[in-house]
Amino acid sequence: MATTERANLIDDRRRLALSHLTRNVVIFVSAIVLMLYVLAPVTWLVSSSFQTEAEIVSVPPHWIPENPTLMNFEAIFGATAEEEVTYETRSGQDPASGGYIPSTAGNLLPAMGNSLIVATLVVILNLLVGVPAAYALAKIRFLGRDASVYFILVTRVIPDIALVVPFFLVIRKLGLLDSLGSLVLTYLAVTVPFTVFILVQFFEGLPDELDKAARVDGCSRFQSLVRVFLPLSLPSLVAVILFTFLTSWNEFLLALMFTQTEASQTLPIVLAAFTSDFTISFSFINAAGVLAIVPPVVVAVIFERYIVSGLTAGAVKG
Amino acid sequence: MARIRFEHVEKKYSNGFHAVKDLNLDIQDKEFIVLLGPSGCGKSTTLNMIAGLEDISDGALRFDDEIVNFAPPHRRDVAMVFQSYALYPHKSVFDNIGFGLKMRKVPRDEIERRVREAAGKLEIDHLLDRRPSQLSGGQRQRVALGRAMVREPAAFLMDEPLSNLDAALRISMRAEIKELHRAMQTTFVYVTHDQAEALTLADRIVVMNDGVVQQIGTPDDIYERPKNTFVASFLGNPPINYIDGQIESTDGSTARFRRGDLAFDLPASIAAKLGSSHGREVRLGIRAEDVDETAAGAAGSVIRGKVNSILPVGSDQFLGFDLAGQELFFRVGKDLAHNLGDDVALSVDLNRLHLFDKDSGETLLW
Repeated sequence: MATTERANLIDDRRRLALSHLTRNVVIFVSAIVLMLYVLAPVTWLVSSSFQTEAEIVSVPPHWIPENPTLMNFEAIFGATAEEEVTYETRSGQDPASGGYIPSTAGNLLPAMGNSLIVATLVVILNLLVGVPAAYALAKIRFLGRDASVYFILVTRVIPDIALVVPFFLVIRKLGLLDSLGSLVLTYLAVTVPFTVFILVQFFEGLPDELDKAARVDGCSRFQSLVRVFLPLSLPSLVAVILFTFLTSWNEFLLALMFTQTEASQTLPIVLAAFTSDFTISFSFINAAGVLAIVPPVVVAVIFERYIVSGLTAGAVKG
Repeated sequence: MARIRFEHVEKKYSNGFHAVKDLNLDIQDKEFIVLLGPSGCGKSTTLNMIAGLEDISDGALRFDDEIVNFAPPHRRDVAMVFQSYALYPHKSVFDNIGFGLKMRKVPRDEIERRVREAAGKLEIDHLLDRRPSQLSGGQRQRVALGRAMVREPAAFLMDEPLSNLDAALRISMRAEIKELHRAMQTTFVYVTHDQAEALTLADRIVVMNDGVVQQIGTPDDIYERPKNTFVASFLGNPPINYIDGQIESTDGSTARFRRGDLAFDLPASIAAKLGSSHGREVRLGIRAEDVDETAAGAAGSVIRGKVNSILPVGSDQFLGFDLAGQELFFRVGKDLAHNLGDDVALSVDLNRLHLFDKDSGETLLW
């Protein structure tokens, strides 16, 4: 009797171990598939930016360049806006690759500068406007508070395409067409509601008593915000910074409408134009693509370490 | 240093909730006042109005003689301890305690001195470098007290400071708060829903319900001479028992309480206060401890019923008692052995009876 029970127990244990093993294998395989799906395009982008035009089109593709070259990057940093690339002179500038340099190659670096300026300004202005607004909405009871929050949220659900024409009319009226100002202004209109929404959620999660304690301790409302709330909000501030930076950096539609020359064109516009040139150099475009993802990655790496949880642990009994 | 006076103070929220109604309260300098009441009774709102954290809808709030209705919290010389402690999680214990002084631009060495002194008194001087998250509940509570102490404020406000602590710690902290009040010689306003805290700590208790002050008085006043049934029921464990009935045959010197078969001759001191109230509907209150089983002698003051629950509480026991269909609870000695269903006779201490008007709930005695 005892032996049968024992045997049954061992059987049960084996079945359990087997089911655990099966589950782990399934999870592992799924993870690999997902990782390939996410990383393969980026890997190809980076890999091909170090390949010649000829190598890129080889079949099967070379994931690791056989003859790595920096020609594509040299072409980007060598190109100047003054240098006119015409149909006749379009090739030969990249003799090693035999690729073609787009006629607007010289605009790439200035556009990157524009993108950086716009994104940075949008981030800063977002914080300046969004933080006090969110604090007020979260911690001060006033008439119309709920209505304000809903109103701000509603502006967020309107698709950008619906806003393009009104935006255009306003921007033209203000005389801001083809200037960075037009982009900063419209990107703010798009991102501030999101910022306020995220921060309101976060501030509401911080106990009211912290605010009261700070004010009884001698803080004005503003000091309470700066000295108590902001240090505790780092994770959500970082989320806001990353979101607004990336939104501005990637934005295409509004930039396409409001910018016409290299004076205000941003990176997505210039990059997209490369595909509609006389001929297309994939190696060059991919190198430009690699440059385009560098700033967001740098920003993400800088701020990622501030995204820590549990910063508020211990504020109140928990 | 601070006498705090409420004069016809009202608090209405924008959603129409009337949190505090016509509050008149004169808190003397160095007095320990406890605001006592169930949740939502307006006691915390009252405290927040003293701190300046809630606007006052109407009336005047004075510190000494100055009206402070519109002074923001940082302009009022008050310190506050919160139920959740509300320590700044990103600051060390030292910075938490010193923050109020830093905001008031006290010199650094003075801050250092006062923080260490307060930490020493509270026995948390070995924790000054820790973060709040590394402290136990009791230690956080001490930090919160320290943060208020170093300010040496004119008034010390406490919003249920002990309700997050476990029972044993709560009792020892009660003693410490009482000692703190004695040592600091300043006005304390303390909010709680715990009758035991109120009775142990207060010089005077303010009992509130639905935003209205029910009674203001010393702990003794409140317990022994409750003004209405709300106050009588709110204090006492188990709560006071009520028996509804009528006053019979009062000629100014004798009075009799009757409910069905149950009838008492009320003592002359009570009868004198009733005047001519023959037939009046009243509610008789008997505190749980005001009965005696051993001396069930004096005829006319005995109630009889069946035991239908027994709750031992260590030092004595609570007896659930069925009086002709009405459930009463009494506190009796634990050495009295009873079984469920036993018939019991209890002698009521007539001199400690409470008598209320049945409709208004107001006392008929004082």
